Amino acid sequence: MSVTVHAELCTIPEVQAAIAAGESLFLAGSREALSRLPRGNWVGGTSCYFMTEEGCLQAEDRIFVTKVPEFALESTALDYGADNLAQLHRDAPDNGFTFVVLPASSEVLKTFAEKASNFNGFLLHPIVGWVSGVRVDRIGIDKPAVFNGKSGDVLEDRCVALHVSLPIGKMAELEIVNIFESGGGDVIRFVEAGFQASQCLVNGKPANLAEYITSKGIPTEFPLVGDYNGSSINVAFQAVDAAKGTVKLYAPVFAGVDYHFAMPVADYSGAFAKAITGEEPEPAFACNCVHNYVYGKMEGKKAGNLTGPITFGEIAHQLLNQTVVCLQILGVG
Amino acid sequence: MIPPIDHPVWAQFVTGNKTIKSGRATINMLVQNTKMEYERDASPANTKELISRSHKFFTQFESVFPNEIAQITG
Repeated sequence: MSVTVHAELCTIPEVQAAIAAGESLFLAGSREALSRLPRGNWVGGTSCYFMTEEGCLQAEDRIFVTKVPEFALESTALDYGADNLAQLHRDAPDNGFTFVVLPASSEVLKTFAEKASNFNGFLLHPIVGWVSGVRVDRIGIDKPAVFNGKSGDVLEDRCVALHVSLPIGKMAELEIVNIFESGGGDVIRFVEAGFQASQCLVNGKPANLAEYITSKGIPTEFPLVGDYNGSSINVAFQAVDAAKGTVKLYAPVFAGVDYHFAMPVADYSGAFAKAITGEEPEPAFACNCVHNYVYGKMEGKKAGNLTGPITFGEIAHQLLNQTVVCLQILGVG
Repeated sequence: MIPPIDHPVWAQFVTGNKTIKSGRATINMLVQNTKMEYERDASPANTKELISRSHKFFTQFESVFPNEIAQITG
């Protein structure tokens, strides 16, 4: 049995009132909107795209609010840099979960993406959240940020976390919804991890990934799909430079994972409706990727029955791309 | 019931000789990361570390993943 948690798009005065009432909050909004909030027990990050009950939309004067459930024992707001990020898992509660937001293009995101699976406590402590960004027409101009409401700090090179302890009888579990599946065909492997790839193995034979993509005319709005024991983990393309022979990615690829190019999706909203039937328990928190919003022309359309921020990378234990992440709080025992 | 940490099923799991089929992303991340770590370093010390991590994970989440645990013990 899952537990519903209050999550919705709110006006700035509504959020100010919730903070004043002592609520613990996980927030997504524009830098301007979040900057108008008082100090309190909240963390948040910049994004102005949202999934709502009316459909996906852009709003700079509203904030998506996920309230920490009343039954939580404790919630603690902290921030971390690349130098002490391993502490994130050590600070996580024995039973509970951690909301996290990391700024896009930051060193702390790079460290998390490449090293989280090596941190002591990986998978034992559910870490869920997203990557903050900016309006897509302001990429490269504005800077993504995260906010520690407890300290009042606005951070561009650190991540924020809200560690939430749950009582006995409740447990957190993370789920992913991926509308992309392997398109089959050649198996791509990498010999080293990284956000940039040049050399790879195609069916075991050395090749240059950029040349391969260019020569095959592979559309890069669809991700590489990594096979994690049957679960599909996406890596999105940022840029392919055939002249330099390099491919930039929004998440690292890893050695030891079989990758395929995704089967193209034409109707994103329809794919989400098929993947999220409404029979699943309502998640305590969900977020969806801005690539799905942009490439899928999702403005005004629904992503199943989900609500939540639209983000620049999704976190479910590790960094994911072009994926929906859901937090479920289960009643157990 | 979770087998004790010295039960042979854990070594079988870590070395890939006991597979789990699951639709749960967290389980599949565990299986894949364990596989990658074992491929990177199959020394007795690392195998012991991976067994310890796997045993701890399934002990902690025994009530959440009963079907997956049944595949390990079965």
